[in-house]
Amino acid sequence: MNHALDSATLTVTPEAIRAYAELTDDFNPIHLDAQFAAGTAMGGVIAHGTMSVCLLWQALFHSFGNDAFEALELDIRFVKPVRIGETLTAGGEAEAPGTWRVWVRGDDGADRLNGTVRLNTSNAEGA
Amino acid sequence: MSRPITFDDFQPGATMGEHLETYGTELASRWQHIFGAQPADGAGGAAEAASIAVVMMMRAYLGVVAPRPPGNVHAGQRFSLQAVPRAGEAIRTVVSCVSKELRRERRYVELRTQGSGEGGRAIYDGRLTLIWAA
Repeated sequence: MNHALDSATLTVTPEAIRAYAELTDDFNPIHLDAQFAAGTAMGGVIAHGTMSVCLLWQALFHSFGNDAFEALELDIRFVKPVRIGETLTAGGEAEAPGTWRVWVRGDDGADRLNGTVRLNTSNAEGA
Repeated sequence: MSRPITFDDFQPGATMGEHLETYGTELASRWQHIFGAQPADGAGGAAEAASIAVVMMMRAYLGVVAPRPPGNVHAGQRFSLQAVPRAGEAIRTVVSCVSKELRRERRYVELRTQGSGEGGRAIYDGRLTLIWAA
C-alpha cells in the first residue's frame, strides 16, 4: 500500500501560460500582461490556478492510472501565486482510507495549492 | 460592448447562464502541448479527460460571466468529478452564483458550475471561489 502519491512536474514558462490561456479561453491580463499584473495585489504575472489542478491530475494518474478518475472530490485552496520560471511538483500523502492530502509546490518547497482529494475507487485506498 | 460585471451585479441563488462545449481534438491537442502527448502523460486517457472537465468548467465560467473586470483572482476550488467526459462528447454546463461576501476589503464570489454530458449524465460539479476585482 502506497502512502505517498507519485509526483508530476511542470516548468511554468510564458509559452505554457499562453498555451493554457488558449486552452481555457482565460486571457485575464494578470496571467499575460506583466505591466498590468505588476500593478495588482499579486505584484506580477501569475499562472492560472487550474493549471496546477491539471498537474495534480497527472500525479493521480501516475499513482493509480485511469482508475483514479472513476469519481473523485477535490477541495483545495490556491495559497501562493505560481510565477514564471518555477518548476511545480504535484504530490500528496495518504490521510485516511481513500483520502489524500494533496499539494502543488514550487522550487522553494512551499505550497502553491493544498487541500484534499477523495478517490472513490478501490484501487486508491491509501492509508 | 456592455460594462463589466461587478460585485454588486451578482445575485446569490441565481442561474447566470449555460455553456455548451465539445471535447474535441483541438482541446485535446492543446492540453497535450502543455502536459505531454504520450500515454504515460495521461494523453488520450483519463488524466487528459479529467483535465478537460476542469477546462470545461473554466470555459463555461468565462463564457457566461462576461465581460469581467480585469484582475480577478481564483482563490479556491472544489471539484467533484462524477465521470470523465468522452472524446467527442458535448458538455452542457450551467453556471450559477452561490454567494458573495466582503471579507477584509476583498470581494469574494462563489460560483457553481454543473456539467452534464450526452443523455444528461453527470460529469462534474465545480465551485469556484473568486476574488472579484471591482
